[in-house]
Amino acid sequence: MKRKPVLWRWFGSGLVRLSAAVCGLALCGSAQNLEDTVKQGEQVFAQSCATGYCHGVRGNAGGAPRLAARGLEQAYIAGVVTRGIPDTGMPSFAARLSRPDLVAVVAYVATLNGITDPNLGGSGPPATARSRPALTGEAVRGARLFTDAVRGFGRCSTCHEVGSFGIPVAAPIGNVPASVAALKALATPNVRTGSEAGESMPALVLSEGKQNTVFYDLSATPPVLRNAAPGSVKFVDGSNWHHTAAIGAYDDAELAAILTYLRAVIQP
Amino acid sequence: MIVNMRFSLILFAVSGALAQDAAPTRADWLHYGGTQFSWRYSSLDQINTANVKSLTPVWIFQTGDYAENLQATPIVMDGVMYLITARARVFALDAATGREIWRYQYPEPPRSTPGFVGNRGVAVGAGKVFFGTKDNNMVALDQKTGHLLWRVNIDDARQCGCNITAAPLVVKDKVIIGGTGGDGAHRGYLTAFYTSTGRLAWRWYVIPGPGEKGHETWKGDSWRFGGGAPWLTGSYDPALNLVYWGTGNAAADFYDGDRVPAGADKTQDLNLYTASVVALDADNGKLRWHHQEVPDDQWDYDSAYEVLLMDRPIRGRLRQILVHMNKSGLTSVLDRATGEFLGAFSVPEVRTWISGVTEDGKLVGRNEPQIGKTTTICPSAAGAKSWNSMAYSPRTGFLYVPVNEMCNDITPNNRAPEEGRNYMNGEFPLKLAEGRTTFSHVDAWDPVTGKRAWSTPYRYVLLASMLATGGDLVFTGNPEGEFFALDAKSGNKLWSYQTGAGHRGASVSYSVNGKQYIGTATGWHVSVVGSAVQNLFPDQDWRLGSTLVTFALPEGPR
Repeated sequence: MKRKPVLWRWFGSGLVRLSAAVCGLALCGSAQNLEDTVKQGEQVFAQSCATGYCHGVRGNAGGAPRLAARGLEQAYIAGVVTRGIPDTGMPSFAARLSRPDLVAVVAYVATLNGITDPNLGGSGPPATARSRPALTGEAVRGARLFTDAVRGFGRCSTCHEVGSFGIPVAAPIGNVPASVAALKALATPNVRTGSEAGESMPALVLSEGKQNTVFYDLSATPPVLRNAAPGSVKFVDGSNWHHTAAIGAYDDAELAAILTYLRAVIQP
Repeated sequence: MIVNMRFSLILFAVSGALAQDAAPTRADWLHYGGTQFSWRYSSLDQINTANVKSLTPVWIFQTGDYAENLQATPIVMDGVMYLITARARVFALDAATGREIWRYQYPEPPRSTPGFVGNRGVAVGAGKVFFGTKDNNMVALDQKTGHLLWRVNIDDARQCGCNITAAPLVVKDKVIIGGTGGDGAHRGYLTAFYTSTGRLAWRWYVIPGPGEKGHETWKGDSWRFGGGAPWLTGSYDPALNLVYWGTGNAAADFYDGDRVPAGADKTQDLNLYTASVVALDADNGKLRWHHQEVPDDQWDYDSAYEVLLMDRPIRGRLRQILVHMNKSGLTSVLDRATGEFLGAFSVPEVRTWISGVTEDGKLVGRNEPQIGKTTTICPSAAGAKSWNSMAYSPRTGFLYVPVNEMCNDITPNNRAPEEGRNYMNGEFPLKLAEGRTTFSHVDAWDPVTGKRAWSTPYRYVLLASMLATGGDLVFTGNPEGEFFALDAKSGNKLWSYQTGAGHRGASVSYSVNGKQYIGTATGWHVSVVGSAVQNLFPDQDWRLGSTLVTFALPEGPR
């Protein structure tokens, strides 16, 4: 049995009537649209905001502050939901929720603060470029494989950031190999060989300054970012490191799916 | 035979504690738990029951980082204290004066990084200072200078929803770290790195993958997002070369329909190795044995807490035991070489989640949250004891435990998991246990008899770690800002000092040039448990802060 939330019951039909009376349809959408959106927002809130140690049932506080009946303005709510609050447990939801869900949850929290006619258009959170792009079929599978946690440190995202997921060890992928064979044959001339105390290691050098030398040690995954004293590690061009050794967690069909994904999201 | 928390061990007349020489700290406080045995016990006795009333602040260090409370346990080595703040600002301080020797500020992760702001301590070893970060980096600094030496990015918080808040544990040539994520759709793990190079040494997943033993205790694909994250710090026995760690709850926290096969026998292990204490080979991370404390956890009763290693006579024989409490306050005593179950006891006074345990440690009378219903469960998911550590004194043979008497009204749901997103699947407003005027107590428990020796009540809650000393003192702090000392034998309060901010961290004892110091982290905050608890006491305004306060006896004749 699903209990009807107290605040929703309170706003309920009164909210719809009031907003329909005040708003022109072109500005505020239909009353039914508003009711549906707020209901959608209530569901999003229950799943993403009321959960855990966060804002509690209907925003009545959990581990995070109470959101109900605080007199919060819609623009403020939208800003916080979109950007988060630095140095607190409040994250940005810009990349975590779809735009309709963002608009809906902002509208719902607005109703918790006595705003009976939340704006569903102009003042909603801005669209974000960090959301995963809409993908279909093989590219969806490729996206999942790219960051597949089951592969542990063997997944692509151990070294590559694409679509705002992954660790940017390597430079952003500019050109997607044309085939799995080309991916396996990928040359890596930017990987050099570092030697330190008689030991050599494949190294991706980021900077060689007067103060320090910064490079990734690629001997093992995950790569180790090293900050070494100048001259303590000597580098020579070339290495015995090959990209093909880093993709052994995938079979050819999986690599093909990953390439499909990369082609869908990376513009050459 | 069912017993209601009756401890089945035979009381053995202990003629003096027989604990390891290596377990108490002396001049230094080298590890998160004092030593790798995690007693939080200092053998120093200059400050004792007779003179503690003269204890006086000698230096105060303001970190300036008020993003969260100061939760860290300081590390002290050779007269230098190493302290980390919530936003991973690391300080090396002269432990006698508080003078700053160096500081390092970890670059703040992007503001959109999901998860917790908080850090519970550094580890020091191999000439380096190690710590974890919100964006899941394991970082190594030069111990002398504070310069960055290496860092490794373990996981993408944007994907896993996980962070590192725990202190690492240095074991021989490796540094081991866990992470958060037990309440999210995530598969928890421990990772070990070589201290010298930062290269991966081993990775142990709490949840076994396909083909591995224990995988069959998960329904379908639920193992992929089953939680279990070990989000605190473990222990190490060098003689056995075993690392001990507590693991987090199974996810979803309050709903088991996706992860437990229908009709499963709940007296057997389920959803391994969540809500367990595990022993791993320190060299390769292989599981040696496990003891699951809460099969099919439906109450968010992490077992992620500290593991105390000690030698005590049990049934006439000196045994190598470990003592481990989970969030429910159920405390297991195991043979730490084999994992053999030796006994258990429960510390909260209000308990509704089970009616008891059998003599072989099986839960009896499980009161499970049900879809479509609201069930009052005590103790709360904030813990009969929170994550803050207990202490153990070999002089008294007692464990010192801060116990809270709170409950949750749990209403579960069956929402599907999304990777890295909250996967608690329930509403669980916190409330105070009914019919009481005090809601916490400092207890002394004998782990051999399972009996409570004394209990000192407190009206609010206690969310700071305990410190026991050779001067037969027990120190901790409360949310009102009072830092206090109890008589380890009786629980009588002998001394207190108002530090000005609530206590959510830990205190340590150490000596420099023969002089004993007591240092404590202070500073409340209003996120997560701190806020949830403060909402229960609306007239209270527990003060924020991020300050290390250090005490000693006055100079001159006393």
